[in-house]
Amino acid sequence: MDEPELLLDSNIRLWVVLPIVFITFLVGVIRHYVSILLQSDKKLTLEQVSDSQVLIRSRILRENGKYIPKQSFLMRKFYFNNQEDGFLKNTKRKVVPPSPMTDPSMLTDMMKGNVTNVLPMILIGGWINWTFSGFVTTKVPFPLTLRFKPMLQQGIELLSLDASWVSSASWYFLNVFGLRSMYSLILGQDNGADQSRIMQEQMSGAAIAMPADTNKAFKAEWEALELTDHQWALEGVEEELMSRELDLDGMFSKELPTGIF
Amino acid sequence: MLYESMSFLYYLNPEKYKLRKWREDNHRNSEQIVDVGEELINEHASKLGDDIWIIYEQVMIAALDCSRDDLAWTCLQELKKQFPGSQRVKRLAGMRLEALEKYEDASKQYDSILQDDPTNTAARKRKISILKAQGKSAEAIRELNEYLEQFVGDQEAWHELSELYINEHDYGKAAFCLEELMMTNPHNHLYCEQYAEVKYTQGGLENLELSRKYFAQALKLNNGNMRALFGLYMSASHIAASPKVNATVKKANVKYAAWATNQINRAYQLAGRGTKENKCSVKAVEEMLESMQITMS
Repeated sequence: MDEPELLLDSNIRLWVVLPIVFITFLVGVIRHYVSILLQSDKKLTLEQVSDSQVLIRSRILRENGKYIPKQSFLMRKFYFNNQEDGFLKNTKRKVVPPSPMTDPSMLTDMMKGNVTNVLPMILIGGWINWTFSGFVTTKVPFPLTLRFKPMLQQGIELLSLDASWVSSASWYFLNVFGLRSMYSLILGQDNGADQSRIMQEQMSGAAIAMPADTNKAFKAEWEALELTDHQWALEGVEEELMSRELDLDGMFSKELPTGIF
Repeated sequence: MLYESMSFLYYLNPEKYKLRKWREDNHRNSEQIVDVGEELINEHASKLGDDIWIIYEQVMIAALDCSRDDLAWTCLQELKKQFPGSQRVKRLAGMRLEALEKYEDASKQYDSILQDDPTNTAARKRKISILKAQGKSAEAIRELNEYLEQFVGDQEAWHELSELYINEHDYGKAAFCLEELMMTNPHNHLYCEQYAEVKYTQGGLENLELSRKYFAQALKLNNGNMRALFGLYMSASHIAASPKVNATVKKANVKYAAWATNQINRAYQLAGRGTKENKCSVKAVEEMLESMQITMS
């Protein structure tokens, strides 16, 4: 812990900290508009739309089947899972796994994703590191171990300097993630400048990629539905209802609600 | 954050805020929309910026409802100029043709949309509404069934189908549609109540029991649903009066009916405390309930 805190030149604040914030922000906005321009229309086939809705319906049947009478639940379960002609059992879709090599549109999508997101980050990170090197920019408010020094203090060759003092490159990366909420404020939700969201999507993309695995999805749904039983939620509804008086407060006020206007 | 921006807008431009609220809540108060929207378009077009396009769409649909062809035409022209070749605008053009009862032309318009984009649900639904407007309910039902085979998740369509079946007195199938809606919206008391009414209409002891249960569920979800309360009373009384039930069931249903009666009376007492008119209506309710009393042992 530094007893005498380092006093940084206030010029650093003026000419380093603030410009990096502006640069990051503007680059993010530009990225958002570029991604809008480069967006390719994803055309879904009728079959894909239909299948995804069927899967949703089957899931709803599993989750909320307890609200409909037993007979109706069994009727639907039979429709889906029947040995001979159940929908989930017997519908086989032609599956074309969209690998990047064979599917040209996937390839361009991936390239666009890389160009708009990863490339600028690397370029600008490197440029900032080169321009604003040789001095300490800011201090992170929590203590860090020495292992972080080479990562966060690029270009500053001081062995005794506390690892909490970081260089401008790390300030840049802090900004990239920190300005996310600013982006949603200004560009609205779902903006193309939201890097961490994109990275999250890439990681969970495997889970969401439905089109290729329709057959597997059907099989999984079939199994899950087989296991579901019908516990009618309305068994004791009258007793529950009549255990107390109805709450009629506020139903009959003298003034009719006039709405907002 | 959304609310702050919305209330900010209210002070800047109350009409725009009103239109947006109606749009988001799906209100169909067409006359009001036409009044507010027409004024907005004619006087304040410059202040609206890009919002004007969605306002044009909203006002156009309202104008069609109110038979304001002139206004609908102007809105359509503006939208066509701005978005040539857009399917959304084509659908609006089709709707205008429907309003003018030129059903053949409207149908052709929707077919052209579907050629370009077979997944376009709006055009398919408009075609079905043309059939409904022409009174061809059997065909409308058939088309709607085919539509639902492809798009099982469309709740609006399920509800429409249930209505069509009720009109055809095919209560079994209407019940099926309502079950779909109940599953996707388990907390909506109105679907429970509608389902119970259909079951009650179907009749038969089993259906009456089901209807009583679903009326009770609707009441549980919303204590203020008077229709469900009356339904509960009616179904319980009918079961109690039926000769086929055994004594325990009869006793239970009599208890339910009595409870429902109490609640109805309470509600009517609360409804108009102290007003003279109310005293008459309370008495009327009591008499009605007594006349509906089936002899209970």
